[in-house]
Amino acid sequence: MGLSVPAVAVLLVVLLCLDPHGRVGSAPICAHGSSGCHVPSLADLFDRVIQHSARMHSLSNDLHSEFEQYFLPSKNHIRKIYRKCHTSNILTPNGKENAQKLAREELTEVILKLLMAWRDPLFQLHQSMAHQQDFNSFSSNKALEMGDMAHELRKGVEKVAEKMRVLGMLGNSVTGLSAAEAMLPLSDSGEAMSDYELLYCFRRDSNKVQNYLKILKCRIVPEHDC
Amino acid sequence: IWCHLLALTRNQLHPPSRGPHFTGCRSREQETFRCWWSAGIFQNLTEPGTLRVFYQTKNALSEWQECPDYTHTVKNECYFNKTFTHIWTSYCIQLRSVRENITYDETCFTVENIVHPDPPIGLNWTLLNVSHSGLHFDILVRWAPPPSADVQMGWMSLMYQVQYRVRNASHWEMLDLESGTQQSIYGLHTDKEYEVRVRCKMSAFNNFGEFSDSILVHVAQIPSKESTFPTTLVLIFGVIGLVILLVLLIFSQQQRLMVIFLPPIPAPKIKGIDPELLKNGKLDQLNSLLSSQDMYKPDFYHEDPWVEFIQLDLDDPAEKNESSDTQHLLGLSRSGSSHVLHFKSDDDSGRASCYDPEIPNPEDLAALLPGHSGRGDNHPLVSRSSSSIPDLGVQQTSEVEETPIQTQPAVPSWVNMDFYAQVSDFTPAGGVVLSPGQLNSSPEKKKEEENEKKIPFQLVSDGAYTSENTARQLSADVPPSPGPEQGYQTFPTQAVEGNLWNGEYLVSTSDSQIPYLLPEAPPVPILPPVSGYTVVQEVDAQHSLLLNPPSSQPAICPHSPNKHLPAMPTMPMGYLTPDLLGNLTP
Repeated sequence: MGLSVPAVAVLLVVLLCLDPHGRVGSAPICAHGSSGCHVPSLADLFDRVIQHSARMHSLSNDLHSEFEQYFLPSKNHIRKIYRKCHTSNILTPNGKENAQKLAREELTEVILKLLMAWRDPLFQLHQSMAHQQDFNSFSSNKALEMGDMAHELRKGVEKVAEKMRVLGMLGNSVTGLSAAEAMLPLSDSGEAMSDYELLYCFRRDSNKVQNYLKILKCRIVPEHDC
Repeated sequence: IWCHLLALTRNQLHPPSRGPHFTGCRSREQETFRCWWSAGIFQNLTEPGTLRVFYQTKNALSEWQECPDYTHTVKNECYFNKTFTHIWTSYCIQLRSVRENITYDETCFTVENIVHPDPPIGLNWTLLNVSHSGLHFDILVRWAPPPSADVQMGWMSLMYQVQYRVRNASHWEMLDLESGTQQSIYGLHTDKEYEVRVRCKMSAFNNFGEFSDSILVHVAQIPSKESTFPTTLVLIFGVIGLVILLVLLIFSQQQRLMVIFLPPIPAPKIKGIDPELLKNGKLDQLNSLLSSQDMYKPDFYHEDPWVEFIQLDLDDPAEKNESSDTQHLLGLSRSGSSHVLHFKSDDDSGRASCYDPEIPNPEDLAALLPGHSGRGDNHPLVSRSSSSIPDLGVQQTSEVEETPIQTQPAVPSWVNMDFYAQVSDFTPAGGVVLSPGQLNSSPEKKKEEENEKKIPFQLVSDGAYTSENTARQLSADVPPSPGPEQGYQTFPTQAVEGNLWNGEYLVSTSDSQIPYLLPEAPPVPILPPVSGYTVVQEVDAQHSLLLNPPSSQPAICPHSPNKHLPAMPTMPMGYLTPDLLGNLTP
């Protein structure tokens, strides 16, 4: 055999890099009006987004449980510590009925606001978890994955909103999020929040996002007695 | 007052006996929730209204508010309806005794963390299949989500867990969480009653709800003896077949198995010749043994019919000093074709022997050397040329150093011991001195030959045959010459007979085998020379050995330059020409 193993490996890598099909990337969905192409419906888009948010929430729950298990031996018997998340300023509906009563545009905007607010804090969370010796590699990887998922979810929700706007389901009152909306995670005292607080807050907010999306879908896409 | 003291000392502890405390808060559908408390050991506080619940939502940092609804039907329960239930909001509730203004208990929570869904409903099962043996069966269990949970909209996404056990057993088998509303259970035994139940929880949360009511599963066993019968037969035949296969295997591989299990004990290794090797034809070890013990190499016997012939290297006469000859003479226990003295050309075979009746031409003598016909083969006989060929240092072959005869039990019996001589010394002139050897015995044999009446030097008619007799006679007639060189080497050429030429050597086994009678062979007293050896003086241009003794008569006889064996008429007395040798070769 003329080629040695490393040479073959290098060749494979080069081929993979050169081959456009070897790369995993996002291919654009069919252009408008092109035939023979399956354009995902709004319901499909909603399903994808909801699945994504469910996964994100599950990840946050796992991380929070791990943190509680290893760092807070005492169970949440009495949580006298009042945690104010940095997203507490965002007005969010507190219940199902409240969310159902909210307008679609506002609901969509709330979702986007929440997701936007967590972009930087999640990155900070991953950084601090990676540097700490207490966390194992799995936890820091989960935090990184969580941050990526939040980012992708935001993109997805934006696409859904765009689609809804195109379909005329959303009015034009939905404004884009400005950079000023992104807030730094500061607690009451102005100090940066600890990892546990971040995890607690994100777990709550991811659950909010998931439920809001479900309510929104139920209202946009009429399904069986939604 | 003593109640107060007790409460203070055991504040917020969970020993079995404690004061008023919350026993739990639960939400069933994530839209409302309830809290319960107990008065504890303070019996005097069990009256309704003495203990009150106050709550505070951390969301708005509001004040403490009293329980919006004390359930009338249930004792010590506070119910928060949808209006007062705020998801994702931290609640803190307190259990107070207003009269005494004592807070007995306080707890904080968020609603989504206290959600325990209601049990699923509509649990039923259907039979999937029964195994062939009729001993096992599989079922499919279905259920419906609790009606209180709004799963259609997805406000609550539930995960279900199915458990089953043999009826009235103590241990429940738990299956994995299922997000759907059905699950299969495999491997249940017929003729056993099973209980199946299911519960659910919110995905991504850890609070299971209550179990549903158990359902009973039972499948009667169908007695089918026929199904078991073939199985038994198949088993029996399978075992028999396996046994047969094993026996066949053992018998076919018997030898190898014997070797594996009963390895042969190695025989004791006796130093010496291994007869097994001889059987196998492996002569290498034998050769090494023999050579190491100064024994003759049997290869010479088996392979080369011709005696090694002596060749002298004539290219450089100057080289014919003692050392070279010595080396030649000494050295060469080479295989096969080694020879002591190298003649330049092998074409000197067939040299006519000298006609001189008196003095045999030493050159012819040399020509008589078998193998001189250019074969280049070494004849073992040459090396063993007997003492009757004293002049020829024929014996100065490779075997020169080896003690011939006496130490060779492997030597074939037809080798005449008398015909061997041993080189004892080398003259400075390059001659080889042969040891007296068995000369003494020869005269006896010579006497035997007297009857044969061989003319000492008149062997012409027979061509190059001589006998020891004649050799002796010849040597006797030779004028005494200085030195040990005496006589002539004649080939004990009674090799007329074919049997003498066993392809091995020229010398017959005994002189008595001399087949022919030389005419006019007056009995000549055999005078054994004092030393019947000659010294190879030199090699002439025709690659014949010049021997010392007939120094006065050097090479009288012209030797034919023919490269072939001379014809019969040119037979010198007592010499055997190589061509004659060739004729005699079997």
